[in-house]
Amino acid sequence: MATIDKAPSTGGGGLAFIHDERFRSVFYQLVTGVVVAYVAWYLFDNTTRNLESRGMSSGFDFIWLTAGFDTDFTLIDYSAGHTYGRVFVVGMLNTLFVSLIAIVLATVLGFFMGIMRLSSNWLVSKMASAYVEILRNTPLLMQILFWYLGIFSLLPRPKQSLDMFGVGVSFLNNRGFYNPSPIFGEMMWATFVAIVVALVAAFTVRKWAKTRQAATGQQFPAVWAGLAIFIVLPSLVFLVTGSPMTWDVPSLQGFNFQGGARVPPAFLALLVALVIYHSAYIGESVRAGIQSVHRGQTEAAFSLGLRPGKTLSLVVIPQAMRAIIPPLISIWMNVVKNSSLAVAIGYPDVVALFMQTSLNQSGYAIEIVALTMLFYMTVSLTISGLLNIYNRRVQLRER
Amino acid sequence: MKLVKFAAAFAAAAGMLAVGTTGASAESTLEIVKKRDILRCQVGKPSPGFYNLDAQGNWYGSDVAVCQAIAAAVLGDKNKLEIQSVSTQARFTAMANGESDVLSRTTTWTLLRDTQLGLDFTAINFYDGQGFMVPKGSGIKSALELKGATVCVLTGTTTELNLADYNRKNNLKIQAVTFEDNNVRDDTYLQGGCDAITNDKSGLASSKAKFANPGEHVILPETISKEPLGPVVRQNDSQWMDIVKWTVYALINAEELGINSKNVDEMRKNPPNPSVGRMLGAEGNLEKGLGLSKDWAYNVIKQVGNYGEVYEAYMGGGKLGIGIDRAGSPNALWTQGGLQYSPPFR
Amino acid sequence: MVAAAEPGISAQQPKEKVDPIRWLKENLFSTWYNVILTALGLYIIYLVAAGLYQWGIADAVWVAETRRECLDKNPNGACWAGVFAWFEGFIYGRYPLDERWRINFGVIVLVLWMVPLWLPRVQGKIGIAASVVAFYPFFAGYLFMGGDKSLFLQVMVSIAIVSFIGVIVHAVIGVTSGGSLARTLLRLTGVSGAGDKLQRNLLIIAALAAVAIAFMAQAQWEVPTVSWVRWGGLFLTLVISGIGITTALPAGIVLALGRRSQLPVIRVLCTTFIEVFRSVPLITILFMATTMFPLFLPEGFTLNKLVQVIVAVCLFAACYMAEIVRGGLQAIPKGQYEAAHAMGLGYWRMMGFIIMPQALKFMIPNIVGNLIGLLKDTTLVTIIGLFDILNMIQAASQDVPWRGLHKEPMFVGALIFFIICFSMSKYSQHLERKLNTDHR
Repeated sequence: MATIDKAPSTGGGGLAFIHDERFRSVFYQLVTGVVVAYVAWYLFDNTTRNLESRGMSSGFDFIWLTAGFDTDFTLIDYSAGHTYGRVFVVGMLNTLFVSLIAIVLATVLGFFMGIMRLSSNWLVSKMASAYVEILRNTPLLMQILFWYLGIFSLLPRPKQSLDMFGVGVSFLNNRGFYNPSPIFGEMMWATFVAIVVALVAAFTVRKWAKTRQAATGQQFPAVWAGLAIFIVLPSLVFLVTGSPMTWDVPSLQGFNFQGGARVPPAFLALLVALVIYHSAYIGESVRAGIQSVHRGQTEAAFSLGLRPGKTLSLVVIPQAMRAIIPPLISIWMNVVKNSSLAVAIGYPDVVALFMQTSLNQSGYAIEIVALTMLFYMTVSLTISGLLNIYNRRVQLRER
Repeated sequence: MKLVKFAAAFAAAAGMLAVGTTGASAESTLEIVKKRDILRCQVGKPSPGFYNLDAQGNWYGSDVAVCQAIAAAVLGDKNKLEIQSVSTQARFTAMANGESDVLSRTTTWTLLRDTQLGLDFTAINFYDGQGFMVPKGSGIKSALELKGATVCVLTGTTTELNLADYNRKNNLKIQAVTFEDNNVRDDTYLQGGCDAITNDKSGLASSKAKFANPGEHVILPETISKEPLGPVVRQNDSQWMDIVKWTVYALINAEELGINSKNVDEMRKNPPNPSVGRMLGAEGNLEKGLGLSKDWAYNVIKQVGNYGEVYEAYMGGGKLGIGIDRAGSPNALWTQGGLQYSPPFR
Repeated sequence: MVAAAEPGISAQQPKEKVDPIRWLKENLFSTWYNVILTALGLYIIYLVAAGLYQWGIADAVWVAETRRECLDKNPNGACWAGVFAWFEGFIYGRYPLDERWRINFGVIVLVLWMVPLWLPRVQGKIGIAASVVAFYPFFAGYLFMGGDKSLFLQVMVSIAIVSFIGVIVHAVIGVTSGGSLARTLLRLTGVSGAGDKLQRNLLIIAALAAVAIAFMAQAQWEVPTVSWVRWGGLFLTLVISGIGITTALPAGIVLALGRRSQLPVIRVLCTTFIEVFRSVPLITILFMATTMFPLFLPEGFTLNKLVQVIVAVCLFAACYMAEIVRGGLQAIPKGQYEAAHAMGLGYWRMMGFIIMPQALKFMIPNIVGNLIGLLKDTTLVTIIGLFDILNMIQAASQDVPWRGLHKEPMFVGALIFFIICFSMSKYSQHLERKLNTDHR
């Protein structure tokens, strides 16, 4: 059978070119291309005609209209007098804010849980697996509601706020988490420059240490040196320029605290829910990834005299990363996407502000859904693009 | 490749199965509904008083009653009705697509919605207005005392806009916390997560009634907005608009004339006065312009009841009612000092 | 007897007698941080259990007519009376009361049809699985929707009935005698000695005759129409995710192969498709489905909303599955491809016989994770107004007699999800171990 399929056109029959692989590949691609192009044109044609025949106003002019509603939490200046366009920006920033923090924390916690699950200690591994199972098997929406209604709504009222560090600057109550916010003086730019310089210096030291270790085998405590540079240099500059920064400390006035920086309880609930939920998934991937590394590798590392910690960090995890990265991409993207469930507890993310409130007020359904999708697509493609580059670097190169 | 082809064929077949004809713009809505022999009436996610599901999965509520009245008027049977529950986001597109024949849900009549969405508002079947509710213990007597307060509000309604306007007008520096679900909002309020709730007063009354201790909460006297609610139809179909409008008026007019579901048979047989006779189709031919049968209004009253009966059942003190007083409110008949007023049936 | 029991005892010998104190010491208090962890863990367990007991059992109200009555009896406890009143609604949604037997019947048939897959002595399991996937949807589709049957549907329903009965009889024969239905049939008709061709023809004739009989029988059978509008509850959740799951795997494999294809046009198309659908939340896809699909179609045609949602869910699930398949394919060493080529296998054979079976094994944990995710994500159809289990739960909290009852139904809903998803996850772990042929 196989030989007949593969046979090139030696017989000289009229239809033999069908069996030519090159011809077939061009033919397949041509057919697919034509079909897809036709479908795309057909859909586009229908859409334009449908839009025309319905008396709905369309177009993107609405983003310059006044939105006219307030919101609870913004990272940039916003009030009811601003436009829908600004609402979109506010929503995007809020989504990114909560997702970025959640991604970092969830990854750290997830790696920890994954390694815990493989622990030889009975209690630790059982608790870790119960954690993963419970979180993975109930809908996230229900978990968000649990954290919000069950934990963060039960915090004390503003007048009985918890004074977080006992020094009267940070307060936690059921209206949010209040912290002093910095007010920068004129000379503050010097400190920022110093931070950048320190970062560059720390990386240079690390690179130098690596080259030296590769060349001579001598080790250098690059991490500690880098950290020292990073702390000492900016603080020196800060003090020399005359401490150009003051703090805006929150204080209780009327119903609520005024001043300082505040995150609402909905943010805290959403953050905790996202971190914990996704850390369970990351934990699973890490476990699977580590298990995919052949036991021979661990044994080889042990026989070279590496301690378990070093074996894990220098031998097992670098190899496991190959299996961990693809699911990790999905999970990070999921964090961004799942933050859209924020609407249930009143955190003003892009879906809540733009796809719910703005859509309801203005009625521009298609444009708003399209813009929202575009935003998520951009974010996700950026994440997966970056991780794909990394993925390509760690993939096994065979021969 | 075979797989791809198979998948394509399958998708096409599935598409064929699922496609049905509706809403071609050439046909009028009345013709479509009559041909289909079932009315597609759009409501929202369950909301006490207006549209609700019971444990057996049946719809009830005052807006559902309007749907039933239209079905009774057009098709002679209030059960020839398919209630569609559509999210607030998709409500206007579902109308524009021709998915729904009429939208009967708490949608406030505003100029923008009436003119820019390809829709027409018909008649008002409920006058609502936005207010505030606070715990009695807070000692607040007026909404103007809410300076700097945190207020919980539902997303996706004009409520949010009204709150922002009121906030700006009176410089109250109110912090608005928005929610999608009224139960989550109410729980947040009960646990002290906000100082007040703002909503349409019907919604506030309904929330208050479900609290463990309704007496510990007060609705403040201010009404900060006008919320006229009523059924909505697609633009440029004046016959269908007339039908929907006059069905609502039939409910109101019947109450004014003292016709209800119990005495309507008697009234039709021996009309006490010409207005009753004209309305129930015993004399004259008012149905002609609407394109309906002679007994359309009779069917509405017989099967659904008059406005007062519907109000009592779902908004007032009935078993499924949410307990809002009608006397003294805008929803009383105009003869009793309210705003519910029907143009004459003649 | 004693002799027979001996090996069993000796087999358990190495396990040692468990000494509870020593076990505790070894596993819970071996180091100082373990002591702290144990204490913390026990405290958390105590807090959760005590709170749940107080709310859910000690203070709970079990019998009441309305929520007001519950509140009057005890405002601090759960009001289970409301959950009892609405429980059938959570499961069946708005399906008419008199027709709910159809859902139960459909589930029973599905379970019976699939049980043989787990019976060790039954042969031809791939055939049984294929028959479920190919014919059950038609049977169930008619059973749940009802109404008039088209000729095509009648034929498919007949085939479904015949294959269902065939599978059951086959399974019974398999379990009792280890044989198969076909061989038993041939033996009974006394032609088991005849030639292969004759045997095959006879079997085909028997099958056709059975289908003809079933066709006659089912012609009388008709159930009333139940519009999709009335579908709801857990039933609808399972229908949507079930269809999503069954289409996701094949579609995902096709997409993944397309993405790894050597043909640039196909590769680019598949990659774009996958990336677009994976990069946006399901909520926005569902929104797109309800607001934009109608615009894509020619004027005058509308898809019903359930179909729109199912299409959206299938596309979404397929793209996720495609990435999982790709991950699995990446784990297969190049040598396997080369070996297959060297043996002269074509592309589809190489994939079907060499690569996929190995890759699928790697993918099982991720596939099951994806299925669980899909089941949970299906709750988002609530947002566009379908009455799945979550929306029924929310409807219960708005129903006037039970107004405000939302924690208790939510708790029950979470429990239902946990039971379903946890058993799926456990089964996948079992499968993973069973298929693990790696000798480590």
